[in-house]
Amino acid sequence: MIDSVKGNLFSTAVQPASQSVKPAEAQQAFSQFLKEAINKVNTEQVKSDIMTEKLAKGENIDLHQVMIASQKASISLQLALEARNKVIEAYQEVMRMQV
Amino acid sequence: MKLFSHTFHVLEQGLDYSSLKQKVISHNIANVDTPNYKAKEVHFKTELSNALQSLEAYRTHPKHFEFKKKTPSNFLVTMRNDVLYNHNGNSVDIDKEMSNLAANQIYYNALVERLNGKFNSLKNVIRGGK
Amino acid sequence: MSIFQSLNTTASALTAQRLRMDVISSNMANVDTTRAKMVDGQWQPYRRKMVVTEPNEGGFSTFLNAAINKRTASIGNGVKVTKIVEDQTPFKLVYDPTHPDANNEGYVQLPNVDPLKEMVDLISATRSYEANVTVFNATKGMLMKALEIGK
Repeated sequence: MIDSVKGNLFSTAVQPASQSVKPAEAQQAFSQFLKEAINKVNTEQVKSDIMTEKLAKGENIDLHQVMIASQKASISLQLALEARNKVIEAYQEVMRMQV
Repeated sequence: MKLFSHTFHVLEQGLDYSSLKQKVISHNIANVDTPNYKAKEVHFKTELSNALQSLEAYRTHPKHFEFKKKTPSNFLVTMRNDVLYNHNGNSVDIDKEMSNLAANQIYYNALVERLNGKFNSLKNVIRGGK
Repeated sequence: MSIFQSLNTTASALTAQRLRMDVISSNMANVDTTRAKMVDGQWQPYRRKMVVTEPNEGGFSTFLNAAINKRTASIGNGVKVTKIVEDQTPFKLVYDPTHPDANNEGYVQLPNVDPLKEMVDLISATRSYEANVTVFNATKGMLMKALEIGK
């Protein structure tokens, strides 16, 4: 599980920097990656919302599917938030650096 | 980004199977006294039936029926036609259904418990062990 | 067809079994009733009643789908009581000239209710009811467990 997170979440972000690419390209790749990651978090949320709506309307859906979708959405969001906090922390750390 | 591993997928499939099975068992037990009722069973689909499902129908008219269902499911519900358990044409074996019910309940609970474990360990990691 | 589908299925069976019990009670209560119906100015004794059940399996579309998908049968929605029929077996004839409904030869027509048969049916209905209560509790337990996902 940890492998899958590390392997898939961070490798794409780190790779461009390790090869010799221009800073602008690396930035482009990273922002692209960030955008996609945030989109995926949003997709999970939307999926969870749709399922919850179906549950409320009494449509044909299983309760466990709703609960799993909501948990997945919540965990994805949690991960994104946690990652954002770390990045902000790092940024502030850099800003505080004596030059 | 693959945050949720293959195990999650397997657990979800298991839960789907278990809840479908619960529906079928309750239907069978509800009809334990109904004359000429044939008991139903749920199976995981075999490779063959998966292959059959993906067969394309040769349609000469757009209004012809397709072979494929709109939402392909991984399970198969069959009728127990060849068994006669009661005198009135009913093929429900109540003892078997009740034991299936108990087993299914435990199976479901076990799956939920494992899923909770996986979710909790993920949450733990995300919180950084705090 | 919602998350409560299997609860509804079980509930339909509980209703059906309870109705069976009601009908059996009615049969037992009227085991000696000689004046149940007036037919052509003559009192008729009570006739034994029976419940007819059949699986509740949707309509035409369910069967069409089952036919198209060949092997996949549909999951039904429990059981439904289609009608209550009267037992057409002949009435019991008992010799009792003092009875107010005795005919000229002194015979009385008594209901075609057999208490023994009714008791057996009653036990069967009770057991089925209990089985369905068990299923109801099991399903409820599973739903409650599903609500615990992520807790």
